[in-house]
Amino acid sequence: MIKLENISFDHCIKCTVCTIYCPVSQATHLFPGPKQSGPDSERLRIKNPELVDASLKYCTNCKRCEIACPSDVKIAEIIQNAKWNYLKINWFRPRDWFMSRTDFVGSIATRMSFITNFVLKLRAVRVLMYLLLRIPYRRTFPSYESSAFENVFRKEIAPTQKDYEKRVVYFHGCFVNYNNHALGKDFVKVMNAMNYGVEIMKEKCCGVPLIANGYLEKAKKNAAYNINSLQSAEEGKRIVATSSSCAFALKYEYSSFLELDNSKIIERTDYATRFISEEFLSGNMPKMKRLGIRAAYHSPCHLERMGGVMHTLNVLKMIPGLDLVVLNSECCGIAGTYGFKNENYEISQAVGSRLFDMIHSADPEFVITDCETCKMQIEMNTNYKVLHPVTVIAMALKEK
Amino acid sequence: MKYDVLIIGGGLAGLTCGIRCAEKGLRTAIISGGMNSLHFSSGSIDLAGYDEDGEVVKKPFDQVKKICRTRMDHPYAKAGLPVIKKSMDFFIDKTSSAGLTLNHNADMNHFHITGLGMLKPAYLSQESVFSPRGLEVVNSREKIAVMNFKGFRDYYPEQTAAYLKKNRIFADREIVLGEVSLPWYMNTQKNLNEFRSTDLARIFETEKYLPRIAEEIRRAAGDATTVSLPAFLGINNYRAIRKRLEEMTGKFIYEIPTLPPSILGLRIDHALKDSFIGHGGEFIAGERAESGPSDSGMLEYINTRNTGREPVSAKFYVLATGSFFSGGLTSDSQKIMEPVFNFKVNADGKRSKWYSWFFFDAKSHPFLSYGVETDKNFNPVNDRGRTVENVFCAGAVLSGYDPVREGCGGGVAISSGFACAEKITGELKK
Repeated sequence: MIKLENISFDHCIKCTVCTIYCPVSQATHLFPGPKQSGPDSERLRIKNPELVDASLKYCTNCKRCEIACPSDVKIAEIIQNAKWNYLKINWFRPRDWFMSRTDFVGSIATRMSFITNFVLKLRAVRVLMYLLLRIPYRRTFPSYESSAFENVFRKEIAPTQKDYEKRVVYFHGCFVNYNNHALGKDFVKVMNAMNYGVEIMKEKCCGVPLIANGYLEKAKKNAAYNINSLQSAEEGKRIVATSSSCAFALKYEYSSFLELDNSKIIERTDYATRFISEEFLSGNMPKMKRLGIRAAYHSPCHLERMGGVMHTLNVLKMIPGLDLVVLNSECCGIAGTYGFKNENYEISQAVGSRLFDMIHSADPEFVITDCETCKMQIEMNTNYKVLHPVTVIAMALKEK
Repeated sequence: MKYDVLIIGGGLAGLTCGIRCAEKGLRTAIISGGMNSLHFSSGSIDLAGYDEDGEVVKKPFDQVKKICRTRMDHPYAKAGLPVIKKSMDFFIDKTSSAGLTLNHNADMNHFHITGLGMLKPAYLSQESVFSPRGLEVVNSREKIAVMNFKGFRDYYPEQTAAYLKKNRIFADREIVLGEVSLPWYMNTQKNLNEFRSTDLARIFETEKYLPRIAEEIRRAAGDATTVSLPAFLGINNYRAIRKRLEEMTGKFIYEIPTLPPSILGLRIDHALKDSFIGHGGEFIAGERAESGPSDSGMLEYINTRNTGREPVSAKFYVLATGSFFSGGLTSDSQKIMEPVFNFKVNADGKRSKWYSWFFFDAKSHPFLSYGVETDKNFNPVNDRGRTVENVFCAGAVLSGYDPVREGCGGGVAISSGFACAEKITGELKK
């Protein structure tokens, strides 16, 4: 049976505009492009699942095809669905299993972070990872913190947040939890400067890497857990995430792709800059000093897909003394776990090359972007340090 | 969100308006639901191609002047001749600083050749379609080679040649057909028949295979001095590629637009977006305007698909959502509507009057001139009959002209977009 809501492929007028803007199609002819892999082939697959084509695996799920489509076809969703429902994928995939279990790997890695960070830099280990797990030798890994952010938060930060009348619920996501406490602390600092206290709820990985690696049942479990946990937050409290892809999953993919009911959290969940932008515009703007920094801004794919770029730009433009070069929208190529796999490494680098060139010719002091994996990709391929918009605000705050 | 100007629709009209506003230092954003129809266009800009009798116009500005005097409902009359002239110069200037040269025939129309081999009058074209040297070559009466790439199914040179022969300009010219084979390209499992214009444009962009392609062109074209190829000589660096090909072959290389996606149109789109972003404009792709209250005669804010709780607001709004194809106008079986704000539309009430029984009717289809009704300031009228003073309409969403019969779609989009920007900057100065 064809589900009625899944016939958006019928709106496709075969204009091929999506394929022009597909970063993967631009980098390789091995991927036939979103039009052919999505709406064209879907009508065949519905009739006979055997007609599935292995080239689907090249799709990064960046969703630039959906942004480009004049007819509003959910192209990337069609491809993701087909990829995991029709392709016969080997169950034994240790690399993909580890990569998508960010919570499992993160909690072990942080517990012995000293060893992890040391070992991940060893050549011998990287050769082994290359040979056994098929992880690109040249790919650099983010370093792990020595404990999870949630523990640090409960111990050190939570007690200081009780005095605030208004509070937001912070969805920190795995990257802040295991790899980048500084961003979490910057977020708290910015919220406090705007007279908001911060609290956290119990959370699991939002599910984006699970979806990308085809563990849909596990993704659904995590999503249900998060929905349940977040909707138990006190009525009226806003839920804010500092990861653009986490926010995209919480707001959109939970309902449209995983088909779960997130209606109780959808309206109150936002990516950080949207919440901050609204507060700034309503007059709740903390005192900031002139930064005197020249920075280039790169807009991540998933933030574009949810229309969030305008809020980030609005916030950045209100920071005094920030000379902003807005880069023309391009995909950085890493696409979450995609670029961490041998078979995708060259495509991933080719996709990103135009962005790296643009960054070099803009010649900024820093690069700003909202997404953690974009940050990894840009820092690995250019000599620039990449900052999160929230960190930039934190830098501009006047010390009390 | 507080912008000075919020433009709904990122096509020819919206981008022209946006560049002008951003250049004047206004905080300008464009929201664009899906890519614009430049991706489906010939890449040539028409200003006034045909007169009232359907005859080809030689001097488009004379025709525009006549329209301005006689047809007060026409967007040209509302923009006015001086603004139209200024808008064209502005457009040439902005695309040129973004690296795309647009030529005109000393203010006269020239012809460009369609994929079917028809000649269409245009005011501006890229240099592979019209240039002083191209004009010389056409007048030289020497042999022409109409070529294709082997396996490319979106273009048929036989058809181009056959129709060209029917035209008196080319009737006694020798036209030969030729095929160029694609160089062995990457380690692809892809069937050559699956390549679309963008795939081929990307192969050209690598510049790796040019000597090989030039060699094949020389061989297949023989002593022809002009060679036409389907338009895919590269997207961003097409000028350099074309120059190299011309040097290597010693022939004049002409480009014919293909089925969508049209590379000629894509180049204009890219040049305009680069210019807009370069002037500090914010281009928000993939976002759709859904509604907005204008009961008071002022549009207060707009709701977009993603904004939900917090709507987007600006001092001025520009509605540049295009015509039926782009979703700026819709219809049901009873009436024709403007779907975002439900502004008043100029259209026949009876469905049977919307169209002509003949698809290629010389008098065209009435629905092509339907659109939003505006006053002389391009302000629309809301469903309560009130003029909405902080909204301006530009481009194909406007009524009062027929882009096909009059050959003026590009000119109306550019001049009305520019005129709206001028009106907004004027209002803000007050």
